[in-house]
Amino acid sequence: MAIPILKQGDVLIASLQAAPTDQDLIQLKDELAERIGHFRSRIVAIDVSALDVMDSFATRTLRSIAHATKLRGANTVIVGIQPDVAFAMVQLGLTLDGIETALDLDEGLALMRAQPDGGASGDR
Amino acid sequence: MSDQQSRLQSSSIPLNEAEVDRRKRIVDLSGEDISRIVTLRNMVAEHTSRYVDAFFRHLDDLGEAPALFGKREVLEEAKRRKREHLAAMTAAQYDRNYVEQRVALALLYSRHGVSTPVFLGAFHHLLRALGNDIMKSVKDPNDAFQRFISLKKVAFFDIGIMTDVLISERERTINLQQDAIRELSTPVLQIREGLLILPIIGMIDSQRAKQLTDGLLRSIRANRARMVVMDITGVAAVDSKVANHLIQTIAAARLMGSTVIVTGLSADVAQALVALGVDLGKISTTGDLQSGLEEAERMLGYRVVRTNETTGPRLSA
Amino acid sequence: MTADATRVAIRHDGDIVEARQKGRELAQQIGFTGSDLTLIATAISEIARNIVVYAGHGNIDLSITEKNGKRGLLVVARDEGPGIPDIERAMRDGYSTGNSLGLGLPGSRRLMDDFEIDSAVGRGTTVIMRKWKA
Repeated sequence: MAIPILKQGDVLIASLQAAPTDQDLIQLKDELAERIGHFRSRIVAIDVSALDVMDSFATRTLRSIAHATKLRGANTVIVGIQPDVAFAMVQLGLTLDGIETALDLDEGLALMRAQPDGGASGDR
Repeated sequence: MSDQQSRLQSSSIPLNEAEVDRRKRIVDLSGEDISRIVTLRNMVAEHTSRYVDAFFRHLDDLGEAPALFGKREVLEEAKRRKREHLAAMTAAQYDRNYVEQRVALALLYSRHGVSTPVFLGAFHHLLRALGNDIMKSVKDPNDAFQRFISLKKVAFFDIGIMTDVLISERERTINLQQDAIRELSTPVLQIREGLLILPIIGMIDSQRAKQLTDGLLRSIRANRARMVVMDITGVAAVDSKVANHLIQTIAAARLMGSTVIVTGLSADVAQALVALGVDLGKISTTGDLQSGLEEAERMLGYRVVRTNETTGPRLSA
Repeated sequence: MTADATRVAIRHDGDIVEARQKGRELAQQIGFTGSDLTLIATAISEIARNIVVYAGHGNIDLSITEKNGKRGLLVVARDEGPGIPDIERAMRDGYSTGNSLGLGLPGSRRLMDDFEIDSAVGRGTTVIMRKWKA
């Protein structure tokens, strides 16, 4: 089950469905890297609101997506982490230091647009 | 009826056959007892009204259960069930149905403010009336005593059930109240669009800490709050467990996309946190609640201006 | 489906998803709600991944357990992989021999109430975790 990637102007939006497998996530990482190059995208938004679990693998993959994205000149925002999921991640010891997060897609895109460099610093 | 059934199920008394047998064993109720009790059936049937009156008059005289006497239909139901009880006591069918009837009566008492000691007092009053009549109607005092003791076993069987229900209902009420108090004690308030304030006052135990986190994270989502001001002015002491929990809550809020500013961190608490090895650099703090709110508003793009017409502050985006 | 126990065979990464979904279902049946369900599912996900990454295949058994009148979920993860030579080190945050963050075992311990691990080099690893309904 591939994760759909939507292109809107200079933004790529990936919406994770409930319970993606490790393979789905790895595939997403590869496809995003390719499309950023192809479309010269500036912003990548990954919507995880459908996920009921973010374990260490999923978190690590999202982190490496964010890093790979930055190398290609775009910035990543992770949106829609659910309250229970956020709490479980913290308990597990997982963070997303240096990666932007936002409540939902609208907030995430507004946040990235509001940054002088379109979010290239990645810090708050 | 369906309400009552669900209440029966919600009471902590299991109503299976094994439990009924266990309770009979506990009071040592034997076949011999039952044959003695059956001989009392006519006497009890004849004087049921008097016994029921004795029970409720005693309750009324005590003045300890006014709620039971406040509503005519409640009192009538209680009396009807008491009559049913006396008939069942000598009918010698101490089965699940019998236990269910006892539970239902105890729930009625519990709902209308009859406490365990008050119930016991009134029930003893009734047993005394029964005992007097047995001594009068049975010639041989030894025989009369044996019959009374057999009936008393059933009475203690009943008391065991009734007090269990009264106590478990009381615990249930206390638990509900505690839940309500806990909920009230950690309010999450939205004071502007996108801005929540969480005042924490008093002791934080692990149960409350969990509720606090849960409440805050859910409110962040529900209100789409980008900023949270967590004011801990009212928290006297913070141990490492609570400190860790607060820091985890802040980290979880950040994962969701919300920024938490901690205000009201007293010098003592701050020092304690540093001593515990908490990295204060990881959480953003301001001195008092007001400066925290100003900082949050600034980050949200609000500007507070005083207008000429009114004296109060007004917001403009 | 109201089975009190389920076994999920772990052979590849898709099974990880199945294991945590089954765990969540059973936990729900016990009466767990909200954040507890997520903590349980996350812990199962971590130990299931450990099996895939280190042992290749194994089983996760999920069942309802009881102690002192409390009900809980019992998770037993078993594999016949290479085993862990230094358990104490493996239980420390940040330690990992595989391609992960090294949070799997110590992290799962934080998410659950009870956590036991038994491992013998060359014979495999068993992880037993429980979460009690408060």
